[in-house]
Amino acid sequence: MMKTAGFVAVAQALLLATLSASAQSRKGQESHDPPAPTPRFADGTVDLGGNGIWDQSWITDFGKQLVGIKEIPFLPWTKAMYDYNAATKVAYDPQGFCLPPGGPRMFGTPYPSQLIQDRDRKRIIVIFEGGAHVWREIYLDGRKLPDRESVNPTYFGYSVGHWDGDTLVVETTGFNEKTWLNFNGTMHTDQLKTTERITRPNRDTLHYEAVIDDPGAYAAPWTVAWDIKWLPDAELAEYICQENNQFLLDLKDDFGNRFFEDVPVEQLPASHSH
Amino acid sequence: MKATITFALAVAGAVLISTQQAGAHHSFAAEFDANSPIDLTGTVTKVEWANPHTFFYIDVSESTGKVDNWALELGSPNGLMRRGWTRNSMKIGDTVTVAGWRAKDGSLKGNARSVTLPGGEKLFAGSSNDAANEKTD
Repeated sequence: MMKTAGFVAVAQALLLATLSASAQSRKGQESHDPPAPTPRFADGTVDLGGNGIWDQSWITDFGKQLVGIKEIPFLPWTKAMYDYNAATKVAYDPQGFCLPPGGPRMFGTPYPSQLIQDRDRKRIIVIFEGGAHVWREIYLDGRKLPDRESVNPTYFGYSVGHWDGDTLVVETTGFNEKTWLNFNGTMHTDQLKTTERITRPNRDTLHYEAVIDDPGAYAAPWTVAWDIKWLPDAELAEYICQENNQFLLDLKDDFGNRFFEDVPVEQLPASHSH
Repeated sequence: MKATITFALAVAGAVLISTQQAGAHHSFAAEFDANSPIDLTGTVTKVEWANPHTFFYIDVSESTGKVDNWALELGSPNGLMRRGWTRNSMKIGDTVTVAGWRAKDGSLKGNARSVTLPGGEKLFAGSSNDAANEKTD
């Protein structure tokens, strides 16, 4: 009995310490009750927001999130780049340079997000705290997905969406080639097209699924999925990645030379010269 | 009574799981050595409460009398605040104890896992190594 009482005291101390050390915003996760039902607008449309933020996890390996297949269907060059990036400890990940995590990676990068449904203007704005303080806009006004050659290639591409019952379906094209699909160095080309399916099966869960269709990089389309947890009563905060990125000061290339030192301007890649 | 224990552990677990987001900006393994743990006690000389990572610097006295100034990396200010830090948690002149991992190049630089403050309070730093391991385990 003494032992049990002692354990309870320890557990209670742990509880108190944990609660006091955590932000006030974590209230609401204490409940044992089943999660509250999916929030909805008056017309029944799923509400992807509320008083809180989506507490995204760090999905470091898309190979562990696959749906329906066992291995990413690499083409030889993407497999070679994947192996090279592993060998170089993913040191050259664009996100380490404070560039945004374009494509599905945004929802697998561990900074919180909010999905704002602007129903009057038939669009959804995704605000992401990490990356370079970025947002995505998804048009739900019935417009067609443009041909990728007609849009300016960007980090997040051009997204149109629609509701299929309670599932938000988002198709995106017009990506640039300046991002990795995933932290572990999974590459893509500007032929990438993604189809994301987002549901909110209960108040506390966002289920995220994305089909990655890039014939320039993969032998077949492949699908990744994961859940994102709701953090009630929490808010987004400002995050400006570029202000003190010391990682780049120490970053060395494969030959041991500093990335950003002693490089004459005329030797810089063209994309850096203007 | 049993319910209390389960409740306490559930809360502890929920908080641990939901606080991974402090340090995922860059590759840990490119810069630090997970097999080279450090345990340092020293005097804070500078705090850079900034993105994408907070840095602080401490003077550590070696047994030879030599004083080394170490640079130590933490998570982002947002991530640290969500773990209970404030920008005043650590002040210049404070004596702190740091557990973490050393830079691969052997320089006086490290990635901090936790910091014990003068009052004995231990704050976790949202190390990118921890965050990666939490996710892949």
